[in-house]
Amino acid sequence: MADKSLELYRDNNAEDSTSILQAPGLIFLEMKLLNLLILLFITIISVHALRGYSMDGSALNFLVGAGSVPFFSWKLPVCVAILSVCLLLLLSIPCNNHPELVGKIILEYGIALGICALTGFGYTGIVMLLLADTMRYRIDWKKRIIYVTAICIAFLAMSSNHMYNLLHVIPLSQMWAYYRQDVRSSLLSVLDMLSLLNTLVFILYMVVLTLSQTSEKERILRLNSQLQNANRKLEEYAQEQVRMTETRERNRLAREIHDTLGHSLTGIITGIEACIMLMDIAPEATKEQLRAIAKVARNGITDVRHSVNALRPDALETLDLEAAIRKLVEESESSTGVKIDLVFPEGLQDLDQDEEDVLYRIVQESITNAIRHGKATHIDVRMERVDNDLRIRIADNGKGCEDIQSGFGLHHMQERIDMLKGTLSYSGKDGFVIEAVVPIRVVSEEES
Amino acid sequence: MKSLFNDFMDSRFKRLVAATILVLLSVILMSGIYQKWIPRKEKKLTIGVFAGSYWDIENGYYYRILDDAIKEFQKEYPEYEVTYTSGILKSDYSEWLAEKMLQGDVPDLFFVPGDDLLTFAGIGALRPLNNLISLDREFDPDVFYPSVYLSGQENGIQFALPYECAPNMMFVNKTILDREGIPLPDPDWTWEDFLEICGKVTHSTDGTGVINQYGVSGYSWVDAFSTNGVGLFDEEGRSCDFTTPQIGEAISFLERLQAGNSGYNVSGRDFSNGNVAFQPMMFSEYRAYKSRELSLKKYSGFEWECITMPAGPSGDNISRLDTLHVALSSRTSQEHAAWELMKLLTTDKKIQREIFDYSEGISPLKDITESEETADMILEGTGTAFNMDTLHRAMEKSVTAPRFPGYEEAREQVSIAVRSILDSNSNVQMEQIIWNRTINNYLKTRR
Repeated sequence: MADKSLELYRDNNAEDSTSILQAPGLIFLEMKLLNLLILLFITIISVHALRGYSMDGSALNFLVGAGSVPFFSWKLPVCVAILSVCLLLLLSIPCNNHPELVGKIILEYGIALGICALTGFGYTGIVMLLLADTMRYRIDWKKRIIYVTAICIAFLAMSSNHMYNLLHVIPLSQMWAYYRQDVRSSLLSVLDMLSLLNTLVFILYMVVLTLSQTSEKERILRLNSQLQNANRKLEEYAQEQVRMTETRERNRLAREIHDTLGHSLTGIITGIEACIMLMDIAPEATKEQLRAIAKVARNGITDVRHSVNALRPDALETLDLEAAIRKLVEESESSTGVKIDLVFPEGLQDLDQDEEDVLYRIVQESITNAIRHGKATHIDVRMERVDNDLRIRIADNGKGCEDIQSGFGLHHMQERIDMLKGTLSYSGKDGFVIEAVVPIRVVSEEES
Repeated sequence: MKSLFNDFMDSRFKRLVAATILVLLSVILMSGIYQKWIPRKEKKLTIGVFAGSYWDIENGYYYRILDDAIKEFQKEYPEYEVTYTSGILKSDYSEWLAEKMLQGDVPDLFFVPGDDLLTFAGIGALRPLNNLISLDREFDPDVFYPSVYLSGQENGIQFALPYECAPNMMFVNKTILDREGIPLPDPDWTWEDFLEICGKVTHSTDGTGVINQYGVSGYSWVDAFSTNGVGLFDEEGRSCDFTTPQIGEAISFLERLQAGNSGYNVSGRDFSNGNVAFQPMMFSEYRAYKSRELSLKKYSGFEWECITMPAGPSGDNISRLDTLHVALSSRTSQEHAAWELMKLLTTDKKIQREIFDYSEGISPLKDITESEETADMILEGTGTAFNMDTLHRAMEKSVTAPRFPGYEEAREQVSIAVRSILDSNSNVQMEQIIWNRTINNYLKTRR
């Protein structure tokens, strides 16, 4: 959870509506209604008492004792009701971050202060509403304690003597002094009971909220473990797939070898055995036979070439090296948006297939690495021929890699270059740079 | 309907706006400011006033000055309908005002008896006038007697303007003084002069040897304290200094004064029967009983006059002042009009002059009270050549006692103290210290 953003504990996203996750919301609603009821009770009694003073002819005494003129008759309950509705509205506004929450609490405090002043500070249980509202947010405990402390201090300050004088508040006890001692004490005990009830509901709310928060955490943990399970299965499946592909390929290779090399070698062996027997009796026939064997061997080579061709990278099968690499670069650029500069030297038409394969694989692997691991946006591919060496330098502007661990890709590259007796070097300090030097066989003698 | 409501309540912003509107609504409701916005053809202005004279003298002109002021006001503001509830007795008036306050139906402006001014100011029922005064260029506080104007103030805040007032003065039975061959005292006479005259007049006149002519009646410690520069209570009535030498002087003076009567408790009836030389009274009584129009002539058997109060050694010829104020309700919605009417009542010369016609008090306006016309009017009314200088002098030197809530009860405590010291024979200073503690304890527990 980012520090600045706030989130409410949702109370309506549970799959089943009877879940405990909905309970805090309901109890909060109960609390709001209870507070409304208490305020209504206080104001109605107060209005009655004020009317009583007028009728008894003790209005002046009351005013002198109270020290200020109260809000009279119908205005008192109406104003308290309006302010209460206003407070409920504010309580229902969700906040997205801490400044909003602080602003909201200040506004709520102001209105609560107004309500308390109008009701002669006879009831300050509204603080529970503010506390309950603040508790609904996902805040870490440190901040939560700060919020709670601040609200409590603000409310303690509210009931201080200073505030009475500042706001010209008439204490509720003074207002209700109209009633006979026994009536007054029973009215006050009703008020005490209601405010105790409010406290109990608040405690219940806190308990249920804590429970629901724990249960939500549990739910998240459960979902998390389910997700991990699924992930593991997926991985296993992917590995199985790789193994199956390998096996299939191995079978195909075995069949190919059996069909081509096996076939030719069998013919050659049979022919050579015949030659051995014929050599002394009929040298001419042996020669003839050997020619036939040579033909079989040549056919076999053609077959092997066909088989190897079938295993080559796709582009190289139909295109020459330059065209294949350009196609690779274009496709990478268009599919990933990475800018790739390519420098391709003249006169690389006469490379052998295995050399082409290796060069193509190096370029392909490096581009893939630069994009996937380096997150590069620009790749420079430079190939040049120096005497009989072909130098390849592939540099990217990605994040590079301080501590290079030779993975599968680099390992394969190294293997392939070793086969051609070349060298490979790389560095990950400033982007990632791969340099390879591959000696080129100058003349192909097996052209016929 | 419900879904519509929910749709509206969906947006946080809208909820915030709705909450703000509700808060504003309740503030408007509480302040009562909405009454200003309701367009009315005829605007209403209400006045709180009691029946009868402030000076407890029935004269039949209960609402005459007020009616004239309203007529005058409506000439300039014809759109206003000005009303008042008639028939409220002065004794019920403060309770009536308090009830109106509880019901939220306070008159826009109302008369406030001097004793209740600080009570109503203390509960925030009165609109502070300072900014109205500073904004109004026509209004000049210097037209009032300073002490009368200041009596509407507390802690530098002007809560009310004086409507009419009366100083207390010393009434003299001229017939007795003439008989004894004593001239009328100077305006700046002292306690010693006072004691001397009292001593001279206190004797038996019918030759029976039983004293039947006395020096003074109704002269209380309050009069002695105020003329000897005693400031008893602090402004809020939280503490009292009863140990000052001025109080000691005043008590010794009262002792000597009492001793002259040789134990007889002289009453107001003795004065009206013409057997007492001096009695302090409000100037309003002088005007009432001197008036030829009044059928009831209370002090008819002798010639009488009023002069300044005698000055103590540490004080001056100071008169105590009682003032009837006019104040604005702190919840009035017709502030401007109410202020104009209030100004008319208190500072308009024509209206203020009527105080001398229809009431027994005097105008707090210097120009009116000190004018030739007023002197003529008093002369004509009382039929005697009254020395107007005496009145002016009394007004200039008048003070208003602090009137904190619960003042009467605190004063009663001091009365008990003074009476007890006068009755006992022990050391006055010691008694002062003891009573000082008692009174301060009372003031502390009262709060």
